[in-house]
This record gives sequence, structure tokens and C-alpha cells, in this order.
Amino acid sequence: MLKGFGNILVKELKELIRDPKILLGMIIVPLIMFPVLGAVMNFSMQSAQEQVQKATVLVVNNDGGNYSQIFIAALNSSVKVFMSNYTSPEDTVNQNELSKCNTTQLIEIPPGFSTNMTLHVNVDPNITASVKIYSVFSGTGVFESVGSSMIDRLIDGFNRRLASNIVCEEKSSIIKGQIKEGVDPAQLSALMISQAIAMPITIMILLTYSMQIAATSVAMEKEEKTLETLLTLPVDRFSILMGKLSGSIVVAGVAAIAYMIGFNYYMGSFTSAIPAGTNLDLVSLGLVPSLFGYLLLGISLFVALLSALAMAVILSAFAEDVRSAQSLVSYVYPFLFIPSFILMYVDINALPLAVKVALYAIPYSHPIIASRAVTMGDYWTAVWGIVYVSIFTLVIMYIASRLFATEKVLTAKLKFRGLRKRGKTAAQDLE
Amino acid sequence: MIHESGEPALDNAIRIADLTKDFGAIRALDSLNLSVESGEIFGLIGPNGAGKTTALRIISALLLPTSGNVEVFGLDVVKKPAEVRKIISYLPEEAGAYRNLSGWEYLHFMAKFKTDSKDEIQRVVNDAAEISGLGERLRDRAKTYSKGMKRRLLVARALMTKPKLAILDEPGSGLDVLHAYHVREIIKKYVKDCGVTVLLSSHNMLEVEHLCGRVALLNKGKTVAEGEPQELKEKFASANLEEVFAKVVGLA
Repeated sequence: MLKGFGNILVKELKELIRDPKILLGMIIVPLIMFPVLGAVMNFSMQSAQEQVQKATVLVVNNDGGNYSQIFIAALNSSVKVFMSNYTSPEDTVNQNELSKCNTTQLIEIPPGFSTNMTLHVNVDPNITASVKIYSVFSGTGVFESVGSSMIDRLIDGFNRRLASNIVCEEKSSIIKGQIKEGVDPAQLSALMISQAIAMPITIMILLTYSMQIAATSVAMEKEEKTLETLLTLPVDRFSILMGKLSGSIVVAGVAAIAYMIGFNYYMGSFTSAIPAGTNLDLVSLGLVPSLFGYLLLGISLFVALLSALAMAVILSAFAEDVRSAQSLVSYVYPFLFIPSFILMYVDINALPLAVKVALYAIPYSHPIIASRAVTMGDYWTAVWGIVYVSIFTLVIMYIASRLFATEKVLTAKLKFRGLRKRGKTAAQDLE
Repeated sequence: MIHESGEPALDNAIRIADLTKDFGAIRALDSLNLSVESGEIFGLIGPNGAGKTTALRIISALLLPTSGNVEVFGLDVVKKPAEVRKIISYLPEEAGAYRNLSGWEYLHFMAKFKTDSKDEIQRVVNDAAEISGLGERLRDRAKTYSKGMKRRLLVARALMTKPKLAILDEPGSGLDVLHAYHVREIIKKYVKDCGVTVLLSSHNMLEVEHLCGRVALLNKGKTVAEGEPQELKEKFASANLEEVFAKVVGLA
């Protein structure tokens, strides 16, 4: 029974382990990916905690009574409290008081606060005093709502000492410098998380697919020796390269457009998915990119695709067949996956400088950065990203054209020393 | 550019002098000397690894020589590769066609590199269709072709533009008797009718004997014998070229 099973198993394992694609994809990537992810999560939680520890709030006090002073004193014992120079929250926001105090939380104590407190204590416990809380929403990551939950805890603590439910909160968000009354920042964060995760994943899939397509198409020409035939025809070699690239570009362009349409639909679909009673509508809140924003995002995606394709073309020029072209291209994948995972959880501006520089240096992270930037109306980040990726792509394409201009396109071959036994040399292969 | 038969031909189609090619530490060609006359079918024969493909690739301006000189109809392949590409056509060993293009589409695609005139393209493609003998199958995608059909398509492609020099690497390799015969007939017809010069390589010495006016025997990057098949057989007192080769390299 099962005669020959052991022999086949050993052969199978040898073949699989010597395949660099499997080694990389299934063993090395997870070994790197999870520690990186862990470090990212750890870092983003730490920075959120630090934010709480050195937290500050800005207070607008429109209540002249004693209780407002007691309330402020209670806040002051836990966090640093600044008093606004303006009496209305709108003016405070418009005059950039928040950024002057380096805080994202604004508390307004409305008129009648002390009166209601007194009534609650002396007359009717059903009467409550309310404060209005305005939190800045910047769409920067999973842990963004930490700031507003800190205020929740402070008020809870205050209530426990005086009387339960004596002070209640009315929450609002400040989006792109505009106060949006009644929009709970925690709910908004929850809503934006799904977007923060969906964008990087789909961009990742799009880039890996198109790289596979381009690599296969070049490797196919090498395998079938049609490239060799083309190179002996009276045709400019740069034309051959550009022709091949442009074919992939058209496919990538169609993919980018399909992607934008799908993304637009995806963003629109949230309006209906919001539970009844909460009036969250991303479109009316301005948390959906403008037409110009979509255009920038489309361009950003396109140039990133182009650079990925050019990279795939160069790499596959070093491969002798389709299979090795695909494994060569898979070496680029960590540069796609790691930025995507990091940017799902953390705002790029919150990262240490070295990590930040590394992420900006990887061209494939720019569409993800741009998607968040254009949603928040920050067009310059997207524009600079497009400029950088375009330059990067031009350099890659220059290298590709140099490669195509020499005999290297036929004889070049990368070796995976140690991954598999060194087979025939290029020279032997050529006779 | 289409070769016009009225053009005065130079005596030498190919002149190779002291050609050496190194790939790293390996010397693929070692001071190779060779000349091919205009209008002949010349065969490079030798075992695998003798340097046949490397020599053909250098003549086709695909690879650069490490040292030595190669001229095609008086044009230096290193100094004027673009000019050389206009007058040659090259058929790589075991080449394929584009899998998702039909035979017709492939021939059209290739013809457009040689001429811009629509009538000329049509004429060239019709010629190729006829000599390939593929008939209606030309409408099918190349991935459905057998090895023999693919080779016939590619040989037709290489000859259809009537290049001054056709360089064919193992034109008959892996083909059954019928397909190999058909391919040989195509080559003979083109040389006779259109004044095309053919340089081909083969490790099938019997095939070469049927086809080539002159041959050169290559071993380890060097010419070990050169001449007409009959002449060589007499010189080495052999029944066929295989025996000649065995005697020359000292196997027999």
C-alpha cells in the first residue's frame, strides 16, 4: 500500500523548497511581516498613549457659575487645560486656537451649566448639565479616537465624584476646520477604518497582478524566442521596450479607472450602511475625495502602476522563462505589502523619521498615502508623491532601455546562489 | 527593405575573421574564420556546444564579438548593426510565434517591419502563406499549431521578405521527415528563385548534405574542416559527413 509514496514526497519537498517563490512567499515573508506588523501596532498604540499622557484640552467657558470652575479644576488635575480667547466654538476653531495649543479636543461649557448642576443636586436628579465636546478628525489611523475617549473618561471620573450622570456630553467632530454638529468622532473613526484597510489591500492586489502580467509577457517573449527575433528586425530597440510597456500601461490604465469607479461606489455605499439614528454621511461631511482629488488619486495610482510595470519588465529581462520571471518579480512584493500594512494602522506623519523616509522612498506606498491625503483635502502630498514616483519611473525606464540596447537582454541572468544548485551558466546555455 | 534581384551582389555575403567570443571564463568561439559567398546555402555543422548559435547571433548583430571582425555584405556588424538588420532575417532555434495571434496576424506583424506599403505587405504575406503550406490553418491561433506547423510558419516568415541573407538556426530541428522535407524545399526554392543567401546551422549532418552547397565543421569554437560535402567525403574517405566529423575530431 502507498508504494513509492515516500519517494514522491521527498522529491516534492525538494522541488518546493528549492523554488524561491515558495520560500519567499510562504516562509520568509510571514517571518518578516508579522514582526513588522507587531512593531507597527506596538508603536501606534504607544504613540496614542503618549498622546493621552501629555494631553491638552481647550475650554470655552460660557458659564459664569461656580460649577464651571470646579469642572475646569477637575479637568486640570488630569490634563493640561487652556482657556480659549473666544466665546464661541466656531470662532475658536476658525482662529486656529486648537493648533496654537497643540490639542485636538475642544470643550464648551454652555450657559446654564452651573444652574443645571445646582438644580440636579437640590431639586430634580433628572435635570443634567451638559458640555459640548468637539474633536478634530483627521482620518489618520485606527487609533485616532483615543483623544475623544480620554475626555469620556475624565467626565466619567468627575461624575463619579459628584453624582452619576450629572454632566453629560454632546459630541461633535471638526472635519477640515469645520464643525460638524452631532457627528460622533468615535463612530466616524469606525467608519473610516474600513476604508483605511480596503484601500491598501486593493492597491496591493492591483499592483501585484499587473506586475505578474508584465513579467509574464516579457518572459514569454524570451521563452518563445520571439524577443530574439524582434531584436534582429530593423526596428528601434527603444520602440520594442516602449511598445511592450505601453501595452501593459493600457491594461494598467483601464485597471486604474475600474479601480476608481469601484472605489467611488465603495465610498458611496457607506451612506446607506449607517445605523438609523446617526446622521453620518461621508459625502456631506466632505470625507469623500473631490473630483480633483479623484483625478490626483487616479494619476498617483497610474504612475505607481507604471513604475511597478517597468520594474517587472526589467526583472523579467533577467529571467529565462515565465516561471523564473514570476519568482523574480515576487521579490518586489515585500515592498508592496509592508507599506500597505503599516499605513493601514498608522498615519505616516506619526512614524519615526527613518521609517517615514523609507515609506516615502518606496514608490508603491504613494497611492495609499495619496488616497488618505486627498480625502482630507491635502492635495500637495499627492502631487509631490506623483512627482517623486514619476522621476523614479523614468530612472527605471532609462535602465530598462539601456538593458534593451545591449546584448545583456539576451544573456543577462540573475543567480539565486544557495536557493538552488547553480545550474548551467549563461554561457553554456548559449552554446 | 526588399532585396531587388537586379542589385549587383558582392562576392562575399559573410566574411568572418579571427572571431572570438567569451562568456565569462568560457570561450564559445576561438579565432573563427569563415566566408560565405553570395547566393549559396552554407551549413555550419557541429555538435551541441560547438559555437554554432553564438556565431549566428553575432552575425545577426545580437551579440557583440569579444574580438575579431564580422562583415555582412561589406557591413561591419559592430559598427553598422542597424544597416545589417535591414538586409538579414534571423530564425532562432526552437523559436515560437505569438501564442494568441493567428498565423495571418503573425505574418502581417512581421511584414510591417520591412515595408510600409499595404500592397507590398499583402504580397509578402500571401507569398509566406503559400510557402508555409498551412492553408486555412493560418486563421487559427499559433498556440494550436503543432511543432512542425510552427516551424513552417517561421521559416516562411524568415524568407518572405526575400532578405539578402537568411540566417536559420537549426531550421529542421525536431521535425518529422515530411515537415523537414517541406522546409528544405522552401529554402532551396528561395535561393534559386530570389537570390537569397542562406546560412544555416544544424547538428543533423545528413540534412545538411542534402541542402548545402558548402559546409564548415565546427568543434569547440573552431572550424575543423570546410568545403563542399562531396569534396570533404572524398578527402576523408568517408561515406557521409557524420563519418567525416568523427574522423576530424579524432573519434574514429
